[in-house]
Amino acid sequence: GSKPFSMDSFSRGSNNVIGSYPVSVQELLVIDDLLSALVGIEGRFISIKRVKGKECHVVFQIDPSMDLALQELTERIFPLCQDYVLINHFVESKSQFKSGLVNHAFAAALRALLLDYQAMVAQLEHQFRLGRLSVQALWFFCQPMMGSLHALSTVVEKASSNNFSGATTLNLLQSQAKAMAGDNAVRSMLEKMTQRASSAYLAILERWVYEGVIDDPYGEFFIAENKSLQKESLTRDYDAKYWIQRYSLKDGIPSFLVSVAGIILTTGKYLNVMRECGHNVQVPLSESSKLMSFESNHHYLECIKAAYDFASGELLNLIIHKYDLMGKLRSLKRYFLLDQGDYLVHFMDISRDELAKRPEEISVEKLQSLLDLALRSTAAASDPCHEELTCCVERVPLLKRLNALKDLDTTDPSVNNKPTSDTDLQSELLNITGLETFCLGCKVQWPLSLIIPKKALTKYQLIFRLLFHCKHVNRQLCMAWQVHQGFRAVKILKTPILRSSILCRSMLKFINSLLHYLTFEVLEPNWHLMHDRLQTAKSVDEVIQFHDYFLQKCLKECLLLLPQVFKKIEKLKSICLQYAASIQLLVPSVYVPEVATNDAVGPFVQGKSKPQRSRNKNQQHEVAAENNIINDSIMKFGKEFNEELQSLAPILASSSQAEPYLTHLAQCILGLGSDQ
Amino acid sequence: YADLVMDETEVSESALVRDILFVCQGIDGRYVRFDITSDCYGLPESLKLPRSTRTMVRKLCELGWLFRKVRGYITESMSSFPAEEVGTIGQAFCSALQDELSDYYKLLAVLESHSSNPIPTPGSISGVQGNYLSLRRLAVWLAEPMVRMRLMAVLVDGCRALRGGAMAGAIHGRAHHGDPLVQEFMGRLLRRVCSPLFEMVRSWVLEGELEDMFAEFFIQSQSVKAESLWREGYQIQSAMLPSFISPALAQRILRTGKSINFLRVCCEDSGWAAAAAEAAAHVGTTTRRGGIVYGETDALEALVVEAAKRIDRHLMDVIHKRYRFKDHCLAIKRYLLLGQGDFVQYLMDIVGPELSEPANTISSFQLAGLLETAIRASNAQYDDHDILDRLKVKMMEHNDGDRGWDVFSLEYDARVPLDTVFTASIMKKYLRIFNFLWKLKRVEHALIGVWKMMKPNSIISCIFTKEGASVKTQFVSVLRRCQVLWNEMNHFVTNFQYYIMFEVLEVSWARFSEEMDAAKDLDDLLAAHDKYLNSIVEKSLLGERSQAIIRILFILFDLILRLRCHAERWFERIFELQLRGTNKSRTKTKEPGSWLDGGRKALMQHAREFLRQMGEDLDKIAKEYSSSLDSFISQLPVQQHVDLKFLLFRLDFTEYYSRLSPSS
Repeated sequence: GSKPFSMDSFSRGSNNVIGSYPVSVQELLVIDDLLSALVGIEGRFISIKRVKGKECHVVFQIDPSMDLALQELTERIFPLCQDYVLINHFVESKSQFKSGLVNHAFAAALRALLLDYQAMVAQLEHQFRLGRLSVQALWFFCQPMMGSLHALSTVVEKASSNNFSGATTLNLLQSQAKAMAGDNAVRSMLEKMTQRASSAYLAILERWVYEGVIDDPYGEFFIAENKSLQKESLTRDYDAKYWIQRYSLKDGIPSFLVSVAGIILTTGKYLNVMRECGHNVQVPLSESSKLMSFESNHHYLECIKAAYDFASGELLNLIIHKYDLMGKLRSLKRYFLLDQGDYLVHFMDISRDELAKRPEEISVEKLQSLLDLALRSTAAASDPCHEELTCCVERVPLLKRLNALKDLDTTDPSVNNKPTSDTDLQSELLNITGLETFCLGCKVQWPLSLIIPKKALTKYQLIFRLLFHCKHVNRQLCMAWQVHQGFRAVKILKTPILRSSILCRSMLKFINSLLHYLTFEVLEPNWHLMHDRLQTAKSVDEVIQFHDYFLQKCLKECLLLLPQVFKKIEKLKSICLQYAASIQLLVPSVYVPEVATNDAVGPFVQGKSKPQRSRNKNQQHEVAAENNIINDSIMKFGKEFNEELQSLAPILASSSQAEPYLTHLAQCILGLGSDQ
Repeated sequence: YADLVMDETEVSESALVRDILFVCQGIDGRYVRFDITSDCYGLPESLKLPRSTRTMVRKLCELGWLFRKVRGYITESMSSFPAEEVGTIGQAFCSALQDELSDYYKLLAVLESHSSNPIPTPGSISGVQGNYLSLRRLAVWLAEPMVRMRLMAVLVDGCRALRGGAMAGAIHGRAHHGDPLVQEFMGRLLRRVCSPLFEMVRSWVLEGELEDMFAEFFIQSQSVKAESLWREGYQIQSAMLPSFISPALAQRILRTGKSINFLRVCCEDSGWAAAAAEAAAHVGTTTRRGGIVYGETDALEALVVEAAKRIDRHLMDVIHKRYRFKDHCLAIKRYLLLGQGDFVQYLMDIVGPELSEPANTISSFQLAGLLETAIRASNAQYDDHDILDRLKVKMMEHNDGDRGWDVFSLEYDARVPLDTVFTASIMKKYLRIFNFLWKLKRVEHALIGVWKMMKPNSIISCIFTKEGASVKTQFVSVLRRCQVLWNEMNHFVTNFQYYIMFEVLEVSWARFSEEMDAAKDLDDLLAAHDKYLNSIVEKSLLGERSQAIIRILFILFDLILRLRCHAERWFERIFELQLRGTNKSRTKTKEPGSWLDGGRKALMQHAREFLRQMGEDLDKIAKEYSSSLDSFISQLPVQQHVDLKFLLFRLDFTEYYSRLSPSS
């Protein structure tokens, strides 16, 4: 609502030239004009010229006909007038709502200063009216104001030309105060200005640090909230950025807060997590913890530190005790890392038929109800989280999945980059069954999803799939072993059965030692390490870090990040599976009748008639033929298996330099190799 | 010099000062006048004055211009106070502005007295009074009022068209300012402006009264019937919601007052007053007026939260204890959703024959009597009388050709205040579910009836032993087919019923009762109940999206009922045959006459013919049934609901059906 008033010089009303008066009169006239000029108003002989190109930048001019000495004297005062005009313009323009709280406060402080200045001018006028003021005296009285107004005008000029607001204004003020360190008066004045300008900013900071609320209508605060990131994304997206990007630091952190910006950010973040949990926590406020100023005594740093300690302690307490983080981790370990595997044995028993199908034909609902059955009828039922377990069937085998997850930093880039041909993929996809692709899922509630986001859960799943498949191979081999047990009473020397049972045993040993390595050498020690470290964790970020480290280490030591070794292991397992399948098919069909006829129950056989005998002979021919086939295939399997196993040795040996845990594996598996 | 100055200025400075003081109160001075064309105060051009003085005067006159604007608004609003446009909040705003202006007047009065002191001149050194006024001094004096006046002018401009809560919100929106002066001023103003609003909130939250003559409050009432008081009686006017009250808080405020009104109107309860007083005492602010002021949003929130907590608890107490909400829900589940098995079974037994009649011949009195009998005869008799009284028979609208089965239903009479939960539309949903369940029960009943009829036939078959082995094999094969079909149907119905009863009703009920116990207020309770009902409707295929599949299901039911009809006829004939056959065998031993032999042949012929007919009918039904079942099963996986997949896998546990039609 202010009326515009022009500062343009307009044509002088009187034709009088100042030079025509005597010098004493000239002085009186010029003092009157100067008093006007000091508050930015044109006088009779002093005019204001607008400088082209620069907004609100003006130059004062004096009538050239004036006495030269007087002119000189007068012109010395003009910079003060110009500074006043500049600052006044800044105050007027920055008091508007849109320019931000810091600018408002700064402008208010400036206004107070200008009011003092105007009062001084009024006092000078008083002196003038009493006839006591000369230009010289005016110059003297203006001295104290000149320095400070000049310093302020440079600040204001910078601020308005760069359109500073918020933190940048504060930084500017502060750096200016430091730059003017030599001039004590100006410096303390600037510091006072900074103080007053920052009070609004500190109020915002206080709300964030103590309540976790961003109360920032003009976008000046250095923490930005990204409302589009929902906390639910943690359990949905693999690459959820919630924790990292929901609140982030912006540019323009005030220089006095730069060192603690990270702590401030985390403090508010923790408070927000607690609020999202429905816990209305407020940092206990006392008078001493009020963020009043940021003077050099670093009181504010202590306040921020105290708030941080409180928030992180409270949140950690909440997550560990109320939401029972350790319990959740323990049950994840139970289910995904097969800590107590009895439910899994039961589940594998009852879901064998369903899992043997192709992944796309499997009914997930059926699996789910079977899983529920398995969970409820075994020791797992005592676990509080067993209701949250789900199951899912993926479409791609484990190796493909590992390759797809690029960011797990697999150590062998050559394997990653090698494109697998489409036909290869197709054939692989055709062959896989639910056993290769089955995996568990688990619902993780907020706020535990901070620590166990989808990404961490995926890692658990990867390990689970590996273990599950190993267990499956183990079971198949045990089944094959059982087949061999039927021949205990029979003389098996020089039959393929002998060879087969030796092969079977070495395979069993291989898979058992692999499982032993995975569970006892990798998962258990690492888990205990993590468990102990979690006990000493100071903040949630540390908890997240420890947990991630644990998972990464497990993945690595479980060979999932070493494609070269892992492929070999997969190959070995597939040989074992093929062998087990063919043994279970071939041996009973050939050998059981033979056993029955030759050896089992003598009298019964003798009761048979002759034609049957001859048929038996026929059969024996067939058996001999099939014996050869079996012999060949067992030989083939044995050869393949041993070759693969031996080829694993140099790989393990070569990379065990870099990855010391591989020596453990080599001991486990290749100890068996040297036995043979 | 003095002459020169005098020469240049026509008007003395003190006169100008006095003029400006007038102008600052919106009055034209002697020289300085308001110019309507350029909408500002100014000196006439003709007046001879130095340039600096002119500029100075113009700058100072801005205050007068602003003042005119503010005062104009105040007088305009004052004049229309009783009218509806302004409202109490507008009044508060005006009076706050008025107070600010009176401060301003005080300043002007002081200045006025200063202005009478003469401006000193170089000559009058002695006896100079310090507090005279020159234009420059005036500028210093008026600098601060200028800021304030500008602010007021901005507010007046911004709020001219607004009223009520919206006005408070608009003023609040301008309160975010970094200038301490502005902050303090706005705080003062808002405290005044918001006091009527907070008073409304207080009386609404603690007493349930809407003291809102000018429709300024963000809660609006509508006069409705008692049963829809809760759902429709009060609404939030989002336009009137000031921004410093969050929507969540507003919702809570709304609910608290609503609860009080609900207690007062529907429950005729007065215990809420004690709860409200307790809440107020707890917060610390007394229930007196003007307890809360602007800026203490925390205090307001605390009050609202406390009041809400206590009143909601009281309301839940009343609903649960006095009106026994849970018992009624349970009763509805037991009677309307057929949870009380023996009662339903008995009712089906005795009402069944009655319902086979055409709908227009059935008297509902008789049915009511039968219902009474069923209650007496079952364990339902030990139930509370209050609950049993509410159970009634309801006959729906019937068309020509409708049977009793189509129109019969039970009804539960929920009285005030429970009809807030069990509204007419909710009861309609219950009715739909009941009809569905009743139909399912009837089908099951029919199947059991068929079983009862078939049972004795193992004995009957012996009549064909002696002669006509071909007839016997024919009979056995037809009977076997009949058994197989019955078994298939029974498997379907049993599993379906299992699904409805256990996977749908019981699971939903368990969830509902959990949520019911956790419910803190009536809204939670309503939401829980809605969820319960909707989940039943969705899962039992009654929802919008499963219309196609429910049609197939009804076709299946019809087929089963048709089988029952046919079976009744068939077995009647079979009994007849059996009777004749046994008669014959008895007579045959006595006198083996030739006519009998002929008759026997005819009989055999007859039986063969009949069995062929029966087989054909059976085949037809079986064929239709299996095709319908196929399409039912193929439709199941398409349904959205996860639980239906469980039904599918239960129906098809042995993978019989999926193996039967691998191509489809």
